Amino acid sequence: MASNRKTLEVDRNLFWLWWIAPALAVYVVFMAWPLFNSLRLSFYTGTGFQLNNFIGFDNYRRLFGGGEDSVRFLGAFGNTFIFFAIHMLVQNTLGLAFALLLSRKTLRGTAVFRTIIFVPATLAIVVTGFLWKLLLNPQWGPLNLILTKVGLGDWALPWLGDTHLALLVVGLVSSWQWVGIPTMIFLAALQGISDDYFEAAAMDGATPWQVLWNIKLPLMRPIMGVVAILTFTGNFNAFDVVFAMEGPNGPPAYTTDILGTYFYRTGIAGQQPVGIPDMGLGAAVATVAFVVLLIGVLTMQYLSRDTSGGRK
Amino acid sequence: MRISRIVSRALMGIGLVLLTGTAFGQNITLGSWRTDDVAKWANIIAAFNKTNPNIMVKFDPTNPPDYNATLRLQLENGNGPDLYFSRSFGVGQALFTAGFDLDLSDFPAIKQAFAPGSLLAWKMDDGKVFAQPLGAVSHGVYFNKDIFAKNGIAVPKTWEALIAAAKKLKAAGITPFANGIADQWDIYEIVLSGILANNTGGAAGRLAYEAGKRHFNDAAIVNSFAELKEMAPYLPKGFEALTYTDAENLFKLGNAAMLFDGSWELPDIQANVTFAWSAFAIPPPAGKPAFVVFFPDSAIAINAKSKNIDAAKTFLTWLASPAGAKAIGDNLVGFFPMSKAAVKLDNEYANTFLGFNKGTGQDIRFTWSKLDAGKPTAYSLLVDNANNVLKGTVTPKQAADNLAAGLAQWYKPSM
Repeated sequence: MASNRKTLEVDRNLFWLWWIAPALAVYVVFMAWPLFNSLRLSFYTGTGFQLNNFIGFDNYRRLFGGGEDSVRFLGAFGNTFIFFAIHMLVQNTLGLAFALLLSRKTLRGTAVFRTIIFVPATLAIVVTGFLWKLLLNPQWGPLNLILTKVGLGDWALPWLGDTHLALLVVGLVSSWQWVGIPTMIFLAALQGISDDYFEAAAMDGATPWQVLWNIKLPLMRPIMGVVAILTFTGNFNAFDVVFAMEGPNGPPAYTTDILGTYFYRTGIAGQQPVGIPDMGLGAAVATVAFVVLLIGVLTMQYLSRDTSGGRK
Repeated sequence: MRISRIVSRALMGIGLVLLTGTAFGQNITLGSWRTDDVAKWANIIAAFNKTNPNIMVKFDPTNPPDYNATLRLQLENGNGPDLYFSRSFGVGQALFTAGFDLDLSDFPAIKQAFAPGSLLAWKMDDGKVFAQPLGAVSHGVYFNKDIFAKNGIAVPKTWEALIAAAKKLKAAGITPFANGIADQWDIYEIVLSGILANNTGGAAGRLAYEAGKRHFNDAAIVNSFAELKEMAPYLPKGFEALTYTDAENLFKLGNAAMLFDGSWELPDIQANVTFAWSAFAIPPPAGKPAFVVFFPDSAIAINAKSKNIDAAKTFLTWLASPAGAKAIGDNLVGFFPMSKAAVKLDNEYANTFLGFNKGTGQDIRFTWSKLDAGKPTAYSLLVDNANNVLKGTVTPKQAADNLAAGLAQWYKPSM
């Protein structure tokens, strides 16, 4: 009798488990298990798609050991950081600026501007990438035609074929496409700040600059952290924009090769002309990317934690 | 997995009952990477059905870049097509080694209809044949006859004459070559492989490199890169970012005089060009014999686990016959049948390309046979260095040294 009662009590205490079980099951089947499995696969190799040969850390040694694979991998790794930096500097700074402008009560036509800024984010990257590829075409692209017409023929460069420019250009196109997302997030954050602060600041005679530095930006700090994390994860998983504009090999001379394209070549499609993927190595690349993302996200979460003590 | 297998078994059973019940014949599928050729294969299969009405062949292509991986996955899961296009050399050999291809060494059609040289690309080192050759492609230089005539230029017979013609055209304000390097592969597969065949001396020369008797940075290779470099000033403005399709459009619009391209683009050029045009073989350096890249592009293998091996063999036997060869050459314009049956093709431009083979030696692209089996592949080394030579970031000598150093990391010369 007593023991029966006890199990009932335990049951009642663990009742919450039933409520999260469906979500937990979906998470385990579609997230945790594949993640664990790719971790496991990174220790294997094999011919074709059957990975049955355990090789310990050999795949990782190839990625970091200084050979052919490691040159490409580390190159892609570096390019991904540059790609991320371009987005932080251009996309997020512009997003913040747009949000500050759009939140001004005196601005007319806010809805129109908001739509214009957000529209690119609703288009497929294959479409925008192709569009920009046409705009930037060295022979019949409007950009170079205009530059030549106004006498700046020397500036009409092969934008997507120049080893110094290609990554920057692709990064800017991607920033153009996604700038609407940080704009909307920042705008929502700004609109969430209580008017009391602005009224108090106005009474104290604060300049708009002081309001920006001492009220708006500090209160947006956690949101900035969220945006930075989204940008970070987005860029470390980026693939489509480079694939659409430059192809899977990251031309010219691997300068636009990012982790996404390198992973695609090793883990999914294989390298021309053989075209059979090295899935174990691909899994190792995915695992390294996962670890970097984990460390990066935790660091950013720590740096952008809410230090206002709940004053908001 | 199990359910899908049961369902597919059930469907197959129903299909079989239907087929035998109506005395309709057998269904076989043909896997391929030629998504563009669905209509053309319908014609070929219709020609086949004139004499073999009981075998229904379904042409079932996969997106070309995904073909190798998709096919491998299908074969490993036991649901591969009955017949499938087989890649030449190493990639094809890997499937035979893994036991997926039926051994065709004693298949009568292979023994009777093909010269030993045509089988090289689908042979194991021990002489076993794993696929029946289907089509070869050729490379050449398409040229705008109107522009050539207006500027008094004759068809160049030597590399020097080609560059002189380019110089003359540029002076007249015309872009000589339409090619760009943004897509990377075409500069090696089409341009440099043709130059290499002429400079290194075709098949005999290539085999000497593979056997370690010649070095990958010898004078012939350096000169190949040097010839490529000579083209750089005569490429379109912004060629660094010009894709393969861009280059074809430049030529088709009449904005460039010449285009290095493969015979496979012949139908497209023919359909979209309004000026007079033709093609010539990539010319050799003055005083050297000419070699043409006549590349074994595709062959068909039989799935060893297929349930319709007899029907598949009937189809392959027909493809190897003169009627089959004619159907291949006339429908797949730009691809040339590889059987011994001498066929006269209907398309005059196809005959022009085929004419390159007269009085010249033929060879495959430089790296395919053995040099892509390790990392870095000779393929990626040649693609990267060809692009860098054209951009001027490495010299021809450095490019050849890079090739030799890259291959030295893994390639052990073998006989």
